[in-house]
Amino acid sequence: MIEAKGLGKSYRRFQAVRGVSFEVRPGEVYGLLGPNGAGKTTTLRMLATLLRPTAGRARVAGFDVVRQSLEVRRNLGIVNGGMKVYDKLTGYEVLDFFGSFYDLWGAKLKERIAWAAELLRIERAVLSKQVKDMSSGMQQKIVIARAILHQPQVLLLDEATAGLDVFARRALLDFVRQYAGLGKTLVYSTHVMSEAEEVCDRVGFMNKGLLVYEGSLQEALALGSGNLERAFIRRLEEVA
Amino acid sequence: MNEILIIARKELLSVVRERRVLFTTLVLPIFVMPLLMFGPILLFGNVAQKTQESVQRVGVVGVPVEVLEALKRAKVEPVPVANPQEAVQNREVQAALIYENGRYTLYGRLSGGATQSALVVEKVQGALRAYKDQVVAERLRARGIGTELLEPFRLEIEDASREQERAAGLFAFLIPYFLVLFIQTGGMPVAVDATAGEKEKGTLEALLAAPVPLMQILLGKGLAVFVMSLLSTLAAMTGLLLGGGMLRSAFSAQLQALQREENAPQLGGALALDPLGYLSILVTAVLFALLVIALMISLGLYARSYKEAQSYMSPLMLVMLVPILFLQFSDFLKLQDWFFVLPFVNVVLAIDSIVKGMVTVPQLGITWASTLVFAGLALYLAYHSFRREDVVFRN
Repeated sequence: MIEAKGLGKSYRRFQAVRGVSFEVRPGEVYGLLGPNGAGKTTTLRMLATLLRPTAGRARVAGFDVVRQSLEVRRNLGIVNGGMKVYDKLTGYEVLDFFGSFYDLWGAKLKERIAWAAELLRIERAVLSKQVKDMSSGMQQKIVIARAILHQPQVLLLDEATAGLDVFARRALLDFVRQYAGLGKTLVYSTHVMSEAEEVCDRVGFMNKGLLVYEGSLQEALALGSGNLERAFIRRLEEVA
Repeated sequence: MNEILIIARKELLSVVRERRVLFTTLVLPIFVMPLLMFGPILLFGNVAQKTQESVQRVGVVGVPVEVLEALKRAKVEPVPVANPQEAVQNREVQAALIYENGRYTLYGRLSGGATQSALVVEKVQGALRAYKDQVVAERLRARGIGTELLEPFRLEIEDASREQERAAGLFAFLIPYFLVLFIQTGGMPVAVDATAGEKEKGTLEALLAAPVPLMQILLGKGLAVFVMSLLSTLAAMTGLLLGGGMLRSAFSAQLQALQREENAPQLGGALALDPLGYLSILVTAVLFALLVIALMISLGLYARSYKEAQSYMSPLMLVMLVPILFLQFSDFLKLQDWFFVLPFVNVVLAIDSIVKGMVTVPQLGITWASTLVFAGLALYLAYHSFRREDVVFRN
């Protein structure tokens, strides 16, 4: 459902992403792991058609990210840690606004909002509040609800737990497994290895724009003697 | 089209929730405009009247008794002073009069616009002129000569401008000025919020990830700015026309008294246009608004934050005000048709000419066509900015 081949992104002389290739299948959670500045966000932004690749190609839900960007966006949801929604609008208004771009109106929209609220454990009463009056955890849930409202085939989560309290973080991690259980394709990008250990089926390690390792979670854990962080460091030492 | 409306609705909903912005762009202009136009004139008129009616202290040195009496009759209290210039500077007296070798010298604080001292100087001048006329008349009478000798003919000056131009009064200048002012100030809060504001708050990325073409996002935001710009301009014009009318009727006596005076300031004006004239103003304003909005959105998209966007947009206002200054001296220039190609200048000149009933079809056509072209270019610039990753993700 996601195919990236030799994907690269350069800004003048700086290469943010260098020839990254990977595939993610439906029902799978792929962990894109690495320190800050490794190129994870740039990779996901290219998959989400927000950035144009300078090298390689990628298909998302069967559509080319450069030539069929609108189709890609119709079948994709993206959340990152810094993403926010309109603080003067209520939760309902935010979801109504984004839902309307996916032809979600009236009863269908209500049904989807109820579905997302249940999945993310959002109380109905909270949706009537303006976003600025919500807790940061609840605001992040609205950001996520916006991304899944159209039940996209592909969901990209980039440092999505940043700033979340323990309850909201738990709800999100549970949601990731549940959403994959619906046969959806997920990329879970984080620098918090413990989260990846919990939700990912396969992982890829990124460093300085390169994908330096790819394997199943079990393989990666074996490489690090049961610890993903140790596996990451060991792999970096090997390629250094 | 649907997406454009959805985005515009969202932008306007955000504005409606911001009471401060609503107040400053829609409510305040209605009240401020009449005050801005008539307030200073009424205040000055009131002060001038009080100065005429009350008694002011005037320093005197060597002034003959008859002149002192004439000054008292003109409601001025002569006060002997040692140093007249210093007494005026220190505000011990409003003016000072010296008589030396058959010559009067009158001191007053005459710099810095309308001062009370200037009004007192006028009062003393009036008293001296009346006294002088009296002395001349007495001397002529003593020689058996009539005073008509001094006035061999009468001179009367009449305003020969067209009725519409005369009726327009200050409006001919003020309408372009306020259009420029309110189209920008009314739209600016939305333009900044919808562009740099989205970047700063981190909401832009979610919108860009939605399946909406960039041009539609841009047009949706532009439509919201356009609505606010026009509403704000409408509020200002309503304030100017209705509020001004109410103020004029409430203070009609004072205003009429002021207008009777020599060199009276022009008081507002009245628009007496035919429907085609109003339509021409509307079309010109709409095209101008499109240009300004496209420019504001380009600048807003380029900026990283609210502050940066405002610092880019404020100079735009200064650039747009230059033609207004030019307009004040337009009568000294022979208007050429090519003036109507110049951005901003053309709109100001065209509205001025419409209000005065002097616009020609080629001038209006050139203004509309060139403004539309400039608006198109500015829209392309905004679209180009929006497509640039280094601009959109520049934060």
